[in-house]
Amino acid sequence: MEPLNLKVLDKPSQPGWTGPTMAPSAACLLWAALFSAGCQFIISLDQMCTEKEVNKTYNCAYLGLREIPDTLPNTTEVLDFSFNFLPAIQNTTFCRLLQLMHLDLSRCQVNWLHEATFQSHYQLSTIVLTGNPLIFMAETSLNGPTCLKNLFLIQTGISNLEFIPVHNLENLESLYVGSNHLTSIQLPTDFPTRNLKLLDFQNNAIHYLTRKDMDSLKQATNLSLNLNGNDIKGIEPGAFHSKFFQNVNFGGTFDVSVIFKGLQNSTIQSLWLGTFEDLDDEDITLAMLQGLCEMSVESINFQKHHFSDVSPATFQCFTRLHELDLTAAHLKELPPGIEGMNSLKKLVLNANSFDQLCHINAASFPSLTHLSIKGNLKALDFGARCLERLQRLQTLDLSHNDIAASDCCNLQLQGLPGLQWLNLSYNKPLGLQSGAFTESPHLELLDLAFTPLHVNGPQSPFQNLPSLQVLNLSYCHLDTNNPHLLAGLPSLRYLNLQGNRFKDDRVPKTNLLQTVGSLEILILTSCHLLSIDPQAFHGLEKILHVDLSSNSLSGNSISALRDLKGLYLNLAANSISIISLQDLPTLSQQSTINLSHNPLDCTCSNIHFLTWFQDNLQKLEAWEETVCAVPPPLRGMKLSAVQLSCGLTAVGIFFLIVLLFLFLILLIFAVKFCLRWKYQHI
Amino acid sequence: ALLYPSGGHGWPTHTACRDGGLEVLYQSCDPLQDFGFSIDQCSRHVKQNLSIRFGIILGEDIQELFVDVALVTKGSPFFNFSYPICEKDQPKFSFCGRRKGEKFYYAGPVNNIGFDIPEGEYQVLVEMYNENRSPVGCANATVICC
Repeated sequence: MEPLNLKVLDKPSQPGWTGPTMAPSAACLLWAALFSAGCQFIISLDQMCTEKEVNKTYNCAYLGLREIPDTLPNTTEVLDFSFNFLPAIQNTTFCRLLQLMHLDLSRCQVNWLHEATFQSHYQLSTIVLTGNPLIFMAETSLNGPTCLKNLFLIQTGISNLEFIPVHNLENLESLYVGSNHLTSIQLPTDFPTRNLKLLDFQNNAIHYLTRKDMDSLKQATNLSLNLNGNDIKGIEPGAFHSKFFQNVNFGGTFDVSVIFKGLQNSTIQSLWLGTFEDLDDEDITLAMLQGLCEMSVESINFQKHHFSDVSPATFQCFTRLHELDLTAAHLKELPPGIEGMNSLKKLVLNANSFDQLCHINAASFPSLTHLSIKGNLKALDFGARCLERLQRLQTLDLSHNDIAASDCCNLQLQGLPGLQWLNLSYNKPLGLQSGAFTESPHLELLDLAFTPLHVNGPQSPFQNLPSLQVLNLSYCHLDTNNPHLLAGLPSLRYLNLQGNRFKDDRVPKTNLLQTVGSLEILILTSCHLLSIDPQAFHGLEKILHVDLSSNSLSGNSISALRDLKGLYLNLAANSISIISLQDLPTLSQQSTINLSHNPLDCTCSNIHFLTWFQDNLQKLEAWEETVCAVPPPLRGMKLSAVQLSCGLTAVGIFFLIVLLFLFLILLIFAVKFCLRWKYQHI
Repeated sequence: ALLYPSGGHGWPTHTACRDGGLEVLYQSCDPLQDFGFSIDQCSRHVKQNLSIRFGIILGEDIQELFVDVALVTKGSPFFNFSYPICEKDQPKFSFCGRRKGEKFYYAGPVNNIGFDIPEGEYQVLVEMYNENRSPVGCANATVICC
């Protein structure tokens, strides 16, 4: 057999190829010398499987392997062996790896699965055979595992479900047979379905669903059925009668009325009926939606469909819905006067073309708790009091809408007393005054990332938000000079100030952080910071996580963390070169520190830090990317590998003693000579 | 095995289209595999909603898929953008959700805007990656417009 770290390719010889002497490594040279008659071109690949978790998880993908390498330990549990070469799999193929739980054999050119392949693999729960040109699976090829749960047979050329051996599928929870040539979902009569939770038939050629098909699934409970990309043309009446499904996906169906008619008297938790940009669809008319009145569904998705003549009547069969997703449904407005939609809790209107927020006529959905209107295709006018009837609204996403408002956000959010989660990120400039969110005093999360904020003078826009825990102000062009900016946030735990500038690129002694003493996580990355005052973080007694990465801080700034203990501290990508002896206790009292991508000094002037680094490797994150910048001979060397000898070594001391000894002897001789000379001349 | 046929010199350069005063050449910059790509209507007056053909083996699941495009002319970058193709809450195309190991072929529109290409030679770097930022495809393209 060939050595495992070599890969042999039968390729035409290169011009100028004269023989094995051109082989790129010594190992290959030897190999080539022995076998040069059989192969023309040899590449040495020192690539081996990578270890993801010691003795348990390994990745051997794309190595051109023809067998399991000897280097893999017998204890391997998770193995990604995709994109290798295993034309036939038999009981000897994986016989050594008896602890296997997850085996990925995607695109290994597997043709044959022979008898008893997994006979002794009792723990195997997932087998992935995606993209293999399977010719035959032996009756007993899947026998052995006591709890085989997930089987992936995507794009394996199956045209008949009888192909799958059924003897050991009692515990199967999910079966993936997408991208094959199946024309029916009917499972063989002896196929065990009791534990089945997911049947995935994406991208097959299934155009009809019959009663018989559906009856083959009747033992399964809470089943999810994925028929995305099959273009269903007909469902036999009564096929879904009295059936219950968790999720059913008919994505990409040309005519949705076929689906609604076919689903009569069924109960479905979540029904996905969206279409796609690359597919044609028929406009959804009022008549097509009638079937929805004859079934029970909680959540429905119509993404990318066209609705002809949206009127209140369009929604007459939507009255029992809890969730409605109309993403990219080419809507300009939702008509006023929609009645009976009191059950709707969640409404998604992303990627439509509303001019004004008021055009959604929110009053029709009084029970709404979640509303998402993001990525509107036009600049959205925030309007005033457009959502005021949504008394129960908890979550509101208005991100990526080009919303601009000179005075935000009390008038706009009026009537939303229960709002807990507000996303206004990626919008145009918003002007904020003191107490800008007092209309929603129960806010817990506020995301304003990448929305420029204009706050005039020493105002406190986030005042009176006693429950606010998470505030994202990254890239908001804040005036960080304003010490009152964050006043009135007694519960704030997470603050992101990434990408904001400070005056003189310095966090001063008196700063905006002093009013948020409850802070646990502080992000100050990419703020162009040159220094931090030693007193700057005074008062942040609960802090656990400080991210100061991607600034221009030097070692001096570490003293600002002197009073903080047990931190996760990220100082990556700064300008730290030398860390002084008195700052080392500050680092020692933290729990995790990242100092990677700094121009660190590896000379004797930094010896105390270098010693500390090597003694505290367990605390250091990304220590493998923490390398020396100076002196030039050590540039790029990992700090963990640097060995410096500064001061006197044992050899040095020995030579010094010998030197002293010689000097002493010389002195004695000199004195002796002097005395003798003196006495001779008396 | 999916490796450079020329033994380490990169994948061959292919022609995506050559017509109407426009030539588009590309080379896969994914060390693990090549891919196939062609543009149906080749013209310096780029029409809206171009049709393309694209064939690749997926090395990763694409429940979510993003594309980054960087345009360089005369050595200086002048245009960069990132576009979501598949997202969990908005799978735009019918191929969204396909799995690692699947061969996938797409022939259809790309939902672009119409524009005219000014005369010159452009370098385009296209990178596709999934929700874990694992690479799905990579191309170095040259657009020559006279």
